[in-house]
Amino acid sequence: MSDRSQLIETGKPFAFDEQRDAEFERLATRYPTRDSLILPSLWLVQEQEGWISAEAMAYIADRIGCFATQVYEAATFYTMYNLQPKGEYHICVCRTLSCYLLGKQEIVDYLQSELGIKPGEVSTDGKYSLEEVECLGHCGSAPVVQINGEFYEYMNVDKLKELLATMN
Amino acid sequence: MADKVKLFVNGQEVEVESGKNLIDAIGAVGIEIPHLCYHPALGADGNCRMCLVGIEDGRPPIVPACKTKAAEGMKVLLDADHIKKIQHDVMELELINHPIDCPICDQAGECKLQDYYMKYDGQKSRMTVKPVMKAKKLDFGAGVVHDQERCILCARCVRFTRQITKTGELGIVNRTDYARVNIFPGRPLANRYALNVVDLCPVGAMTSSDFRFKQRAWFLTKSPSICQGCSKGCNIFIDHNREKYKDDVIYRYRPRLNEKVNGYFICDEGRMTYKAENDNRLTTGIVSGKETGLSEAVEATRRLISEAKKTVFLVSPNNTLEQMYAIKAFAAEAGAALSGFSDGYIQEGDADGYLIQDDKSANRASFELLGIEGSKDGFDKAVADADLVISFNNDLSKSLAEADLNALLEKAQLVYIGTSLGTCASKAAVALPIASYSEDCGSLINIDQVLQQFAVAVVKNEPAANLIEVVQQLGGSVAGVKEARAGLMESVAALKDVNLEEVPEEGIALTDNEVSNVAA
Repeated sequence: MSDRSQLIETGKPFAFDEQRDAEFERLATRYPTRDSLILPSLWLVQEQEGWISAEAMAYIADRIGCFATQVYEAATFYTMYNLQPKGEYHICVCRTLSCYLLGKQEIVDYLQSELGIKPGEVSTDGKYSLEEVECLGHCGSAPVVQINGEFYEYMNVDKLKELLATMN
Repeated sequence: MADKVKLFVNGQEVEVESGKNLIDAIGAVGIEIPHLCYHPALGADGNCRMCLVGIEDGRPPIVPACKTKAAEGMKVLLDADHIKKIQHDVMELELINHPIDCPICDQAGECKLQDYYMKYDGQKSRMTVKPVMKAKKLDFGAGVVHDQERCILCARCVRFTRQITKTGELGIVNRTDYARVNIFPGRPLANRYALNVVDLCPVGAMTSSDFRFKQRAWFLTKSPSICQGCSKGCNIFIDHNREKYKDDVIYRYRPRLNEKVNGYFICDEGRMTYKAENDNRLTTGIVSGKETGLSEAVEATRRLISEAKKTVFLVSPNNTLEQMYAIKAFAAEAGAALSGFSDGYIQEGDADGYLIQDDKSANRASFELLGIEGSKDGFDKAVADADLVISFNNDLSKSLAEADLNALLEKAQLVYIGTSLGTCASKAAVALPIASYSEDCGSLINIDQVLQQFAVAVVKNEPAANLIEVVQQLGGSVAGVKEARAGLMESVAALKDVNLEEVPEEGIALTDNEVSNVAA
């Protein structure tokens, strides 16, 4: 996890497309309070754009009728939400207790030197993005790395080398 | 009265109010439970864990005091070793990333983190790794400057903007070590109560751009008073200091708790009215454009009164009850007409249903009590054939357009007995300086008919005479506040049962009935 509070502004207004708009309205009937729409709305934005901009957060807040800071809080809290365009391979390394104790730092250090990017950054060619994330729920098979949603368990530098080779 | 329950704190029996949480209930009998995130106006949040107390034989045995109601027979442990360890550990946690820049921090001297460190922690830092760096000087708007590194994430400010002002400009973003308070990009603090977050902040994370780096908290004298920015009469502390070789100067107003009037907060406009007490003050007499001493100005005014065919006394809705009484008595003695015309003090539509009121004067309710007529018609009638208008700190330029004021001053001379330099002081034939409310004392009745009193807070190196003294020098018969109060209690029906010499701190509610009983 790094500081995720620096939002990116696209300079263009955001709006749901027709399909997501309908989905939003359908979801609105599902919850007892509209504040509950914050998380699913953020997913809809991410589905549509691949990442979530400042404009999109403001749009969601105004659509839901909640404070923009509530959306801002939720989006920066959960590392599953991408707050910048991600790379072709989005690599998440768990940094919570079990993975921490079992050597996540070696993995992060290796990825940093191999890819030339720090956690929270995207490589200049847009191929890789690296993120340190909070618990992914695979503590029993720590340390764990998640690449584009796929889990890779009991990770170490050697296994990672093989994995990276398949990506090239 | 609320029911009482008996419980034990560290084995000692105490009687406390039931229905309150342990912090408030036990705090009311003088036993402190340390807490950072809990604030009575914002409710329990339970995020700081500083108020964890032991309950002997309780299930669970350790509870947050802010979320636990006082109950009969409860055995609360505060000084047990395991509770002390919790307090100690929580303090150590809060200080892990704290910059400890107390020497340059505005909060130093009134900081909970400092106080609690001395009381509950007191150990050297065991940190050997680099602390997390965050932003130091964020402009949150509305005069609030935020230091993310000093913040302990108690969320008081966040809860204030969500629960009290319902504007929600602040939030806690990120998580873990990286968590911080922030505004949403492009949506800064924009509410009329924003500066309360500076008072609410238990540490120095929220600072006021107006007060930042001006004074150390321990040099300030904190005098209780009443805000005169509008007719709500919010209770305040006037924080002032006389620096060596300088004059007594006010540095800030802070809200003072009064459940009957303003609760814990005040508005930002009211908070900034202290500037008018410091700056642009009328400090000397002015006779025909020349500065003079007070006695010359008094003499000139007496001459004007004796020469005038008809005099109108113009009372200000900011005058205290006692001042109004003295002016009214003087008007009767001098055969002058009395008016309280001050329409310009009212800003129609400005009230927000919370603290801010339309009427920007502090004591208009007393007009009714003393039968002082404030209408435009009454004023026009009174000045129609008058050749002298004496304004008792009533800024006529607020209520009359410039042309109308000039037309009035062509046929009548103006004497301005007031506190500030401005249109009235410059247009007056004679201007007399008086003490402003921070340098004076008296009673005010607010828009909800609550009578409150304030005492002298600031004493200038060369104190101006107070208004009642000046009225007496001009020929009035009321000698001082004490005599005015005695007269008021005797002559005003609504104040018959009120002892003006002993008004409780929270004020006295005069019911509408009592006021309407007064013969106009």
